[in-house]
Amino acid sequence: MLSTGNDIVSLNAVNKTRTKQFVFYSKILSHTEKELFDKSEFKSIPFENFVWLLWSIKESAYKYLQRITPDILFSPTKITVNNVQIPVGYNLNTIDITQTEGIGFNNMMVLNGSATYGSTTLYSSSILSSELILSVVNHKENFENVGWGVKLIDKNDPDYQSAAVRAFLVKKLNTLFRTDDLVILKTPDGIPIVMKKNVELPIPVSLSHHDRLIAYSYTQ
Amino acid sequence: MTRNEILSELKKVFAPYTTNKEMLNEINDATDLIRDLKINSANLVDIIIDAEAKYKIEIDYDSADKMINVGTCIDVISEKISQKNAEYR
Repeated sequence: MLSTGNDIVSLNAVNKTRTKQFVFYSKILSHTEKELFDKSEFKSIPFENFVWLLWSIKESAYKYLQRITPDILFSPTKITVNNVQIPVGYNLNTIDITQTEGIGFNNMMVLNGSATYGSTTLYSSSILSSELILSVVNHKENFENVGWGVKLIDKNDPDYQSAAVRAFLVKKLNTLFRTDDLVILKTPDGIPIVMKKNVELPIPVSLSHHDRLIAYSYTQ
Repeated sequence: MTRNEILSELKKVFAPYTTNKEMLNEINDATDLIRDLKINSANLVDIIIDAEAKYKIEIDYDSADKMINVGTCIDVISEKISQKNAEYR
């Protein structure tokens, strides 16, 4: 079963001081994952950003898995990030947060990694800029079947965020499928689905928002 | 502490992380933290840490996973308070 999962973290909205405290990050990272940070290549990334990077990968993996197993509980420590590769010559991504959309990450210097939950392995790609972390997970290392988008919105009100991210994705899918009548609904388990005239389309989608940032991913 | 006493304090734990203040006054066991109180998942760890500090308890990973609605939050906090009191006896 195809699925997708994404998560966005607005770095301006997180409590950096608290993130660096053991009492906080130990609820997210295992000892082994903390050791990933101690590798020399991660030293260019502030520790608080590393914590939120792994959070976003785990949350994305959870959303991916929830579509397949709706009653799964989000448990950051039960999803293990095995590795995250920092590309040679890595610099922070410069991404236009007002609105950027793409398919795959081929021309971008992203952080690729993998995560496991039980016997399932998923692959992640993450954009890390000064403003945000966007992670997307897929069932294979190649992301050419995955569309994604990120956008800055005017307000951080939850209802506004929810409506804005649905509209952002619907606009993209309507263009992609040359139609104008797609609707995003949620199942009773909270899983987003794409509907066309009361029929669910086989396009897995994932929505996320944090503060004034919204993001989507879909798989084809 | 009774469940009502825990609930009363729990509202103060949730308050900084929800914009849905009106809903806070009407919460019951079935109120979902994310769907109903509109708490961003990025704040779930904050809530667990704040609950640990407020009730002077430790919430392990498995218990934290269960804290998805008000009822399960009260269940976990109540259980941890009972465990702590039993240790002191």
